[in-house]
Amino acid sequence: MDELFAPPAYDWQRLSPAYRSLRRLTSVLTAPILLSIPAVIVGVLTGNWWISTLLWAIAAAIVITRWFVVDRNWRSWGYVERDDDLYITHGVLFRSLVAVPYGRMQLVEVGSGPLERAFGLATVSLKTASPETNATIPGLRPEEAARLRDRLTELGESQASGL
Amino acid sequence: MSQPPVQHSTATEPTPPRTAKPVKQTERPHPLTPFIRGWIVLLAILIGAARELVPDGSSEDNISVSDLSWILPLAAFAVVLAGIAGFISWRFTRFVIDDEELRVETGAVFKSSKKVPFERLQSVDIIQPLAARLFGLAELRLEAGAGDSTIKLRYLRQTKAASLREYLLTRAHGEQARVADHGDVRASVFTDLTAADRPLVQVRPDRLIVSFLLSTEWLVSSVLALVLLATTVYFDLAALALTALIPLVISAVSMISRRLIAMFNFTLAESPRGLRVTRGLTNLTSQSVPIDRIQGVKISQPLPWRPFGWYRVDVDIVGYAHSDSENNESTATSVLLPVADVDQVELAVGRVLPGFDLDGIGLNRVPSRARWIRWFDFWTLRYGWNDRAITTEEGWLSHERNIVPHAKTQSVRIEQGPLQRRLRLADVHIDTPKGPVRAVAHQLDVRVARELALTQLDRARAARRADRERIPVSQARVRTDEETELLATFGTSRDQLLGSGGESEVFAIDEQRVLRLYRRPYDPSDQTGEQIRRLLDSWEDTNIGLDVPKIVQVGEHAGRCYTVDRRFSGRCLSPWLAQAQTGDRRQALSSYLDATLRLRDLPSPIPGFARLIGPQAPQQFSSLGELLNNMLDGPVRISRAQLERDLPNVAHTWSRLHADLADRVVSPALVHGDVCPANTYIDSRSGRWVVSGIGDFSPHTVSGDPTMDIAGAVIFLELEPYPDPAADAVWLEALAVQQGGNDVRHWIEVYRRFYGFYFSDSFRFDPVLYAWCLRQLRR
Repeated sequence: MDELFAPPAYDWQRLSPAYRSLRRLTSVLTAPILLSIPAVIVGVLTGNWWISTLLWAIAAAIVITRWFVVDRNWRSWGYVERDDDLYITHGVLFRSLVAVPYGRMQLVEVGSGPLERAFGLATVSLKTASPETNATIPGLRPEEAARLRDRLTELGESQASGL
Repeated sequence: MSQPPVQHSTATEPTPPRTAKPVKQTERPHPLTPFIRGWIVLLAILIGAARELVPDGSSEDNISVSDLSWILPLAAFAVVLAGIAGFISWRFTRFVIDDEELRVETGAVFKSSKKVPFERLQSVDIIQPLAARLFGLAELRLEAGAGDSTIKLRYLRQTKAASLREYLLTRAHGEQARVADHGDVRASVFTDLTAADRPLVQVRPDRLIVSFLLSTEWLVSSVLALVLLATTVYFDLAALALTALIPLVISAVSMISRRLIAMFNFTLAESPRGLRVTRGLTNLTSQSVPIDRIQGVKISQPLPWRPFGWYRVDVDIVGYAHSDSENNESTATSVLLPVADVDQVELAVGRVLPGFDLDGIGLNRVPSRARWIRWFDFWTLRYGWNDRAITTEEGWLSHERNIVPHAKTQSVRIEQGPLQRRLRLADVHIDTPKGPVRAVAHQLDVRVARELALTQLDRARAARRADRERIPVSQARVRTDEETELLATFGTSRDQLLGSGGESEVFAIDEQRVLRLYRRPYDPSDQTGEQIRRLLDSWEDTNIGLDVPKIVQVGEHAGRCYTVDRRFSGRCLSPWLAQAQTGDRRQALSSYLDATLRLRDLPSPIPGFARLIGPQAPQQFSSLGELLNNMLDGPVRISRAQLERDLPNVAHTWSRLHADLADRVVSPALVHGDVCPANTYIDSRSGRWVVSGIGDFSPHTVSGDPTMDIAGAVIFLELEPYPDPAADAVWLEALAVQQGGNDVRHWIEVYRRFYGFYFSDSFRFDPVLYAWCLRQLRR
């Protein structure tokens, strides 16, 4: 983390480790499943099992890479609540830092899909009048997500300003 | 519209009690509506058929006469169907727009009734498709709040639509008004500008056409077509090329309709309620531009326009986000100016972002290592800011300049890709609502990027805070029960409102008296009302052949200051001017000048140069220069920083004014200080329009140089909201010079600058007046 994306005078809040496990699980599952279908079909129909082996090898390589990439990506996430605005950073290759003034927030949403719920996670997203404001924090513990939502809503109300 | 039963006390309440629902006369749109809607469908069919009949290179080239025999009845059937649908929707559409509410009821089977609070109205536009225009009808389109659907009232008589628009816009601004106050507004058939609109910029057809032919979009597609044609002809494949040309021709036609026909006669005008855009050759669209909802400005210039110095100006308006459909003929547009030169751009941007100086922003370049990423335009990248807005520039084939006021910043982002990381560069995005404006400072050095982003958040916060502090000022005008009570004490009510200005509202009590209710809160130490009353009383026995006001009573009720004044005979000159013929107008203005000259005959209670009304009044001065300096002291102290930003050589103007004033030798006389048509009353006497009285003596009234009022009468006329008051002002100045000698011309010029400084504190509340001040000081 270099100084360009460092939070001003605060430390980043990081995501729950459960989020890393969730992302690892999905990547461990998706690549082998997606590649196994053609591998089995090719093997059964043509008998060229070496092609299938190649596909499975590719799947294994993807899983191993993803294992480390997910870790890097998980570590890249961070958010910090300042007095007047919320900072969110993420990204490894393409990095971004977004700062949303509380006074500009129009909507705070908490969402949690079935997989996320299984891992005890929730996602908080902020909406402003601009569609380009891309302020979403995934992988929060539900109680942290609820706290964040309440606090952001409260701050948003007290600092709200017209368009 | 027949006058609805007005409930006197509840007229200002948002929802009248359900139980006593008055029976109201609702209205239908114009009976010709179904015919016009059928006609529009017919037109669409004709165009579609014409497109089909165009040989498109495919095998069945010609539609034979036998084909037509079944197409025609089908088309006729569709037209009749559309007419019937139009009739049903017309039959079941009813609306009420009166002093109390705005309600529209629609639907034959599924009935819906929509009631919109006036304050929620965001914009009121008038749209006239060609067919409706031929019958003098128009569609009224109302936008209420972001996300709400548009209400369309079609079709109404054009004059009626225009007067309803004026009424609705007045109410939307939170002011009281009555439908009856907005009688038929006459608007020009070609531009839909009413008499009260003052055109700021008119795009001439020749310039529009040339700029269109030189636009990148047009050049690219026509070059493409030519290349295609040339190669196919060369290889003798012209028949094949026809198939490819059809889509090109269709896109060219749509381009012409969007960029030329829809933008024809484009006029940006200043109306009493903000800016207004009217445009269109066949379909006439008139749209109001809500200035406070503008989120950003984009000024762009395609390369071929550069030799001509032309620009295009777009704005982001919240809720008007249909910009992706690129401003069709009838939808709201984000185009502020389709093509304009530098002066016009400055004028328009000055209205949209008051007090913002386009060239006053110092622009910074980006490090030269940016060329490894933006090799195609790295030398055009710029960014900069001042205390009002942040601006970024980019592009070479089409140069774009995006301006976002700090207060409108939604969020700030820093983005960095892998290559940028290696080069230690980053982009800073200033996010704005959906629209054409995209403010991105590309390829900054990382340290600069971080500083820009963090300081931008601070600037945005400061600007928002300043905005919030301004809001309570407008909310302070909420009407209360106490006010209703006070009005009732004098036997009047909101219905009797005669006029309202920045300082006060005036209600009729009877034929002889009016009640003037001041907006500012009552302050016991403020002697202004009492001072004015004494001054007016001292003129009791003076007759200058002109009514001057007389205050019968000064009082205070529930924290508000009020006076009871004698009612003027005749009518106010300002609205009269807007609808008068040129001949009548000039004759009235000549009487207006005579009346102004007579004001100096009013005796001043204090000899010598003096301020007559105000906290320190009466206050005597030994010379005219000292008096004027004292008058300028207060306002200029407030506006000084702003003036220095807007006028680089303001110090020079200031010293020149003082040098000029030092030469003035004059004996003191009474000066009204604010002679303008809004304060003047006019009456018809034996067929001639004669000024009958001048009102509103105020803290501007002093004992000084009587030429100040002559200058005022001429120069304040320029602020009148009718077309081209400047021509009348020039004429009036010539008349004053003819009567008073060549010297008068010089002193009018000097007092122009004086009043330019004197009213310059208006930058805080009146952008139009402030822009006028800047014009005076730039002369």
